[in-house]
Amino acid sequence: MKYLLTGGGTGGHVYPALAIADGIRTREKGAEFLYVGLKNKLESWIVPGRGYPIKFVRSRPFPRSSDLISYLAFCIVLGLGVAKSLFILLKFRPHVIIGTGGYGSAPILFAYAVLSKIALSRAKVFVYEPNVHPGLLNQIVGGLAHRVGVAFEQAGRWFDMKRVAVVGYPVRQELYHLDCNEAREGLGIGAEKVVVLVFGGSGGARVINEAIVEALPLLQRNRDILVLHITGRYTGGDYNAVEATKAHLSQRGIAESSDNYRRLDYMENIQEAYAAADFVVCRGGAGTLTEICVCELPAIIVPLAGAADDHQASNAREMEKRGAAEVVYQESFWDEGEIHTRVSGTRLACQIIELADDKERRLRMSRAAGRMTFKGSLAAILQELEGLVEGQRPAPLNLDFPQRPEELPANPNALLMHIINYLDEIGGPQALEPRERAYLLYKADRLLVSRAWYEIPLGQRNVGIKLIGYLGYKEQLQLLLSILQDRRRVGAWQRFFGGDYCHNGILRRNVIEYGLRLLQIASPEVKESLLDVLRTDPYFEVRAMAAKILGELFDPDERIENALVAALGDRASLVVIQVIRALGKIAAQRRVLEQLKKFYLHPNWQFRQEVVSTIKQLLERGILLPQDVAADVEQILASAPYFIPEFPLKERLQELAELVRPCNSEAS
Amino acid sequence: MIYYLGTYLHDTVETLSFLRLLDSISFRAIAGAITALLFTILFGGRIILRFYRSGQRDISRSNVSFPSTGNQAKTYGGGLIIAAVLLSVLLWCQLDCTFVLICLGAVVWFAILGSVDDFLKVRHGNSDRGLSEAAKLMLQFIYGAIFALIYVTEEFSPLPEGLATQLYLPFFKYPVVDLSWGYVPFIIFTVIAIANSVNIADGIDGLAVVPVSFVVAVYGVFAYVSSHFTIANFLIFPFMPGVGEVAIICSIVFGACLGFLWFNSYPANVIMGDTGSMALGGLLGTVAVLVKQEFLFLIIGGIFVGEAFSVLVQQKIGIKWLGRRFFYSAPVHHHFQMRGLADTKIVIRFWIIAGILALCGLATLKIR
Repeated sequence: MKYLLTGGGTGGHVYPALAIADGIRTREKGAEFLYVGLKNKLESWIVPGRGYPIKFVRSRPFPRSSDLISYLAFCIVLGLGVAKSLFILLKFRPHVIIGTGGYGSAPILFAYAVLSKIALSRAKVFVYEPNVHPGLLNQIVGGLAHRVGVAFEQAGRWFDMKRVAVVGYPVRQELYHLDCNEAREGLGIGAEKVVVLVFGGSGGARVINEAIVEALPLLQRNRDILVLHITGRYTGGDYNAVEATKAHLSQRGIAESSDNYRRLDYMENIQEAYAAADFVVCRGGAGTLTEICVCELPAIIVPLAGAADDHQASNAREMEKRGAAEVVYQESFWDEGEIHTRVSGTRLACQIIELADDKERRLRMSRAAGRMTFKGSLAAILQELEGLVEGQRPAPLNLDFPQRPEELPANPNALLMHIINYLDEIGGPQALEPRERAYLLYKADRLLVSRAWYEIPLGQRNVGIKLIGYLGYKEQLQLLLSILQDRRRVGAWQRFFGGDYCHNGILRRNVIEYGLRLLQIASPEVKESLLDVLRTDPYFEVRAMAAKILGELFDPDERIENALVAALGDRASLVVIQVIRALGKIAAQRRVLEQLKKFYLHPNWQFRQEVVSTIKQLLERGILLPQDVAADVEQILASAPYFIPEFPLKERLQELAELVRPCNSEAS
Repeated sequence: MIYYLGTYLHDTVETLSFLRLLDSISFRAIAGAITALLFTILFGGRIILRFYRSGQRDISRSNVSFPSTGNQAKTYGGGLIIAAVLLSVLLWCQLDCTFVLICLGAVVWFAILGSVDDFLKVRHGNSDRGLSEAAKLMLQFIYGAIFALIYVTEEFSPLPEGLATQLYLPFFKYPVVDLSWGYVPFIIFTVIAIANSVNIADGIDGLAVVPVSFVVAVYGVFAYVSSHFTIANFLIFPFMPGVGEVAIICSIVFGACLGFLWFNSYPANVIMGDTGSMALGGLLGTVAVLVKQEFLFLIIGGIFVGEAFSVLVQQKIGIKWLGRRFFYSAPVHHHFQMRGLADTKIVIRFWIIAGILALCGLATLKIR
């Protein structure tokens, strides 16, 4: 039999293909294999290393942006790939094609679609989907597959039920035969050490690499911990995993190899590291998680923020819920005008030390991990393949529809509404369970770093700012103040039309209105920045909100009072109204009356109304005495172009409706 | 109908020759206005009650509510205006005239469009969930395109040969430029812009209906001038036979608007909703094109232009692009509400401004 394997890009797609191939090879001696993948990707050096022949085709991910050039490039490159795949298929003439997803498998599968239409290929196609949420390619080619294997039952929803089989995630056979002592001997690690394996998936992860290096000084205080750090050979964009980590280490004066720390670029046989480790720090991809579950390792998971549909976070939360892992989320932070995301080294260190010290807990977690795997996965896939060759039909899947979505809504505004309602239900952010809180804070952080940061009114950063306030996320106070004080200007055109700073007026207003107001932190630095905003911000809503919060949040204070008195001359009426109102709460000196007197005959009746209530408030607070204002009452102009109408019929009707409401709800 | 009856009778019966009066545009205009006015006032109460029973009630927008805003249990009653206009037009206009058919088409098309919008809002119980902006624009575009093609094509156009594509400006005696086919997009734009601006302005009790009646009155005068050979020559306007029917329609709409104001005045128990404002806006746009005074709308419809402009500035430039507000709230009447003016004050001030603008518009009859 000839098997053609295809699937590429990341480990999540390559490793299952290899596991399947290994399985077939042990069962069927004369099998021939050909792997078709992408050059310069993981498969180009892993597959030959395992002894399988490989051929390369070109492909490109489907462009998610809507510009024409990337579509054209996509079509041309994919066209070339399909053309080459036609030749490969015609020459190799496989009996079975196994596609494991990823855009690397697109050319072969599309070429197969062409050939099967003109009866030049009789191959059977098996498509494997490792994730809960199938990738775009698998959603398309699922239609032409003879059988679809899915790792998670929920993924079956995207495919034709009659052809779907739940097969779990196949891991390499070696993982089942691990020996801790042997592995530690091989690596030269003493048996008394607590080994922490830190790695960022097949490609390596910048966030994890940076965080662990930051955590090292803290970890090295504990003699027992040994950090086994696999940086990965990631080189993309401006980040080279190996070089950057080396530089980072030497900058902090940490040796690359010591009693407590050992750095490796890549490990061909990661199962040895698994065998030697007591627990791991890793990403939340399905492949990695399945492997550590098979190895029954406790884990600290750092989910990749911004993965498609945030699937890593949901995977990680699932593990956490079952007690097999702890989750450390990425946080956003302010860096020179940009908001970035990272994992705090201190937090990671705390988690690691806690877990290293608690053997009981590690044991519980590893038992929980062991319960989570479906160990017969490879056998199930091989059985499916056998059935496929013999032309049997699988037993159709039975799923309940629709599945109740447990995930939060994806639309930022819907998410905000959802969280506000949820907090109302449970009674405020302090009632949140710590894990739930961590996840929601992570969602807020995701929105804060979001690229769509100027997009208003659905601006994601805007929603992030509101969430900080609603969730009581006090740790991000600095970030809020930085946004408020960010004075980078927008382009000349926008300035011409009235724009001001990169973090635009509405964002800044929401920082105060939702962030500072809900956080209720009356610290001196908040006060300073609000005073500064009240004096210098070019946007009236920001100044008005600053005046309002100064009045609500702080105790009477001479500096605030002076700043408010100075702001009485503001050109925007909204600001003056808020300033007068705030003076009623803040003012502590009788001379404020002199300032208020200027408004007695002001054309804007709202000013006069605020002045009246402020004087009343000052009287109640004892700042002013009745004799001070007795003569003034006559002087204040009382006419106003405003009234509030009364609709007695409507009000009576509402009272009646209240009375009969119990009956109404019973009837319905 | 009465027009045809009258012509038939005065042609056949000698003693009824006084019915020649029905040939007179001014007589029919006044009669039409009175018909529409009486119809709305006499039957309005009952019709509104019927709308109320069928559940066409207004749900106030949750995010903006002003304490000075009037009676909030209102009924969508745009159908009342439409019914009055249609009835009166059928009675008093010359129905085989292309001008009349085009105007009727505008009223009916935009009324249907608006009522679908209203229906969806009532159905979802949310005034933000009517037709989408894109769908509305698309439907308006379809009407605009059909109208423009009829207008520009020689065979169907109700206008004298060669006149249709000439562009007239206020204060200029003679056409400025012949746009030829370029007139099609211009017409589509005009109709869509005017229809939507009226829709936007319809925000407080009585705010839209009075300025609409002013605009329609001024356009009626212009249509009358163009239809009258002597006056058109005297004032150097293009003579367009048949456009007098548009003057009658304008007058009818004026009457219907006043009748509607009878119930719509503060505190209103009926509002015109999208059905009314769309239909009136669509009709205004059509009339502006038919009497060849599109740019005059910038003056006499200044209220609508200003309202639409405030929304444009606030939403598209301010919030979407710059991330700031220019007004406390848009459209601009909400801005004044936020500034602390009572609804009645705002509405009457807007009427005054609309009246002044209408007079300025009328002045362009002679100042050219």
